[in-house]
Amino acid sequence: MLQFARFTATRAALAVLTLLLVSFIVFSLMELVPGDCAERYIAFKNTQGAVITTADIEAERVRLGLDRPYVERWMKWVWNAFQGDFGDSCILRLNISQLLGDKFKISLGLSLAALVFAYMIAIPVGIYAAVSKNRVVNNLLRLVSYLGLALPNFLLALIIMLFSTVYFGESLTGLFSKEFRDAAWSWAKFVDFLKHAWLPIFILGWSATAFAIQTVRALMSDEIGKLYVTAAEARGVSGRRLLMRYPARHALAPIINSLGFDLNRIFNELPVVALILTLTEAGSLLIDALAKSNDQQLAGAIIFLLTGSIVTLNFVTDILLAIMDPRVRKSILR
Amino acid sequence: MSKRKAAPTAAEQKAREAYFTASQRQLIWQRFKKNKSALIGAWVLIVLILSGIFSPFLTPYDPTIAGRDKEYMNGPPEIPRFCDENGCSLRPFIYTTVRERSIQTNFRWVTEVKTGLEDRRYLQFFVEGSEYKLFGMTFNTHLFGVDKGQIHLFGTDSTGKDIFSRTFAAINTSMAVGTIGVFIAFILALIIGGVSGYYGGWIDSVLQMLTDTIRTVPAIPLFMALAAFIPDTWSAEMRFFFISIILGFIGWPTLARRVRTHLLTERNQEYVLAAQLCGASSSHIIRRHLLPSFTSYIIVDLVISFPYMVLSETALSFIGLGLKDPVNSLGVMLQNVTSADVLLNYQWYFIPVIFFIVLVLAFVFVGDGLRDAADPYSDSRK
Repeated sequence: MLQFARFTATRAALAVLTLLLVSFIVFSLMELVPGDCAERYIAFKNTQGAVITTADIEAERVRLGLDRPYVERWMKWVWNAFQGDFGDSCILRLNISQLLGDKFKISLGLSLAALVFAYMIAIPVGIYAAVSKNRVVNNLLRLVSYLGLALPNFLLALIIMLFSTVYFGESLTGLFSKEFRDAAWSWAKFVDFLKHAWLPIFILGWSATAFAIQTVRALMSDEIGKLYVTAAEARGVSGRRLLMRYPARHALAPIINSLGFDLNRIFNELPVVALILTLTEAGSLLIDALAKSNDQQLAGAIIFLLTGSIVTLNFVTDILLAIMDPRVRKSILR
Repeated sequence: MSKRKAAPTAAEQKAREAYFTASQRQLIWQRFKKNKSALIGAWVLIVLILSGIFSPFLTPYDPTIAGRDKEYMNGPPEIPRFCDENGCSLRPFIYTTVRERSIQTNFRWVTEVKTGLEDRRYLQFFVEGSEYKLFGMTFNTHLFGVDKGQIHLFGTDSTGKDIFSRTFAAINTSMAVGTIGVFIAFILALIIGGVSGYYGGWIDSVLQMLTDTIRTVPAIPLFMALAAFIPDTWSAEMRFFFISIILGFIGWPTLARRVRTHLLTERNQEYVLAAQLCGASSSHIIRRHLLPSFTSYIIVDLVISFPYMVLSETALSFIGLGLKDPVNSLGVMLQNVTSADVLLNYQWYFIPVIFFIVLVLAFVFVGDGLRDAADPYSDSRK
């Protein structure tokens, strides 16, 4: 038990350290943009007709705390960020947490759903591919997994849109129907959301699925020839019971470890898929912030939140793995 | 198992000796040749790369705005034919199109196809056209063209640029971006992975921590943030190089890790100790003794990471943060295709996508084939 607590503590410390490093990178990116918030506020006032002097800009800097040293501002930003407060965007003059709130949750929900979707397909299909000697099935799966790489999600999204527009006259875009767009969350809105969400979930999960099938298949093929499987078979265990109780249990543990990287891959596709399907969530906000308004505060917050979710997932999977496999607990504290 | 054979013939003996004395590269090539899909992929790749390099010659028009056809905007692909109701011709031809706006067309621009005998445009080879530079020399001969007007095999886009010419120019751009990107990733990986693996200890721990951190940040959002720094005033070439550098940052963490793992196992070998005892410097040992021991693996990794570079560039350009108009790339060409107008009416905008899927697939097949060939245990594992 003590060992487990120590393991958890080390992992948590590592996760926080990673987040600190990430926050430093993100904060530096925000700071490197020419022109700080004070200049932007003042520039805005200038367009309203006020006469501005350099003294005004300096005063504004002091008011916003921009005259403090770099490290101090970074620490303050991180401290607030861990509490979920990312300050105000100086271009939109809105609180970033309010702006992001629901939209980030939608993005995270879509991505996690895509992850679940990917493994719900990949695990049975991968196991089947490893077991079956059917050449047609195996070649088909190879083709699918190659296409998963060669046909990136956004091309897939484009092609699906092309077909649905040409043959069904519907573009399948957006996340909500018109009447629900600005409504508060309710059961009806949720159902409507699900009706629209299946396509982004499928597209986001597509290449993750292709990769996952390959991984499951490889892990399963390694495990299936081992002696303990033959031994179990000799004892009279067979069929699905044999597969699930013996090789699958061992083969699938490493997959838990790779979940974080799969989420990373899905996040990579998020902005582009959002752009194509005109989704109103964090991915499209990120594009708006970077490609249109050059709003680094907003972009930084989104990148930090995305990375934060990955680090959290990695932490959770580490703990899960340690609960399942006592060897992992020991190995980390060499 | 079987009885030992009698003395092998001279030819057999020679073949066997050739196998044992073959260099690493020859062995890899032997195994690679056996893999049919990889071999086909390699041929496709060579053809595509060559057609990318020679694209100004192979394509009839300038892919930039300078080569636009004012008479044929958003025009569908024109496929040369031999016969029509006016009879056949040995030389394939296309029809003349005219854009006009008058009271009959309700003052809208309408493109009309004229199918008369005198409106045929005959296909010709080695025609003189716009000037282009290849290997520092200026040419103006193009592989094919038509006797009057222009021919657009893949149609044209909304400004009248020839999609066929743009597709091949885009392949060239993608290859160039990918090559520079892979090169930068390679150097970064060698330096960081090399230092980390060779010295080990706390330097290794710190560098690994950094690498892992960078690997946790989703790459595309991070590079979007970097690409947003490019000022609008930069020229297309500057943008091109900056994007290539950014792409270089995508590949290095994975590659650096591989280099490090190899070095960690290799540095305890006796030949390294021997070199150290001879007084060789660290950088000399890394460069002359350690790196050559796994060059082939590095090359394989580079080939495998190539499609990621190409696809990332496409994604960045598609969003509008990557390359911009005078430079052609798939992402640039796809920028406007999400509008319903294009999806419903101008599906030939999607023709370049096919080429890119083929390009990436070819790379994946070659990369997989090379990886299997470079792995001495790949035969026994199957």
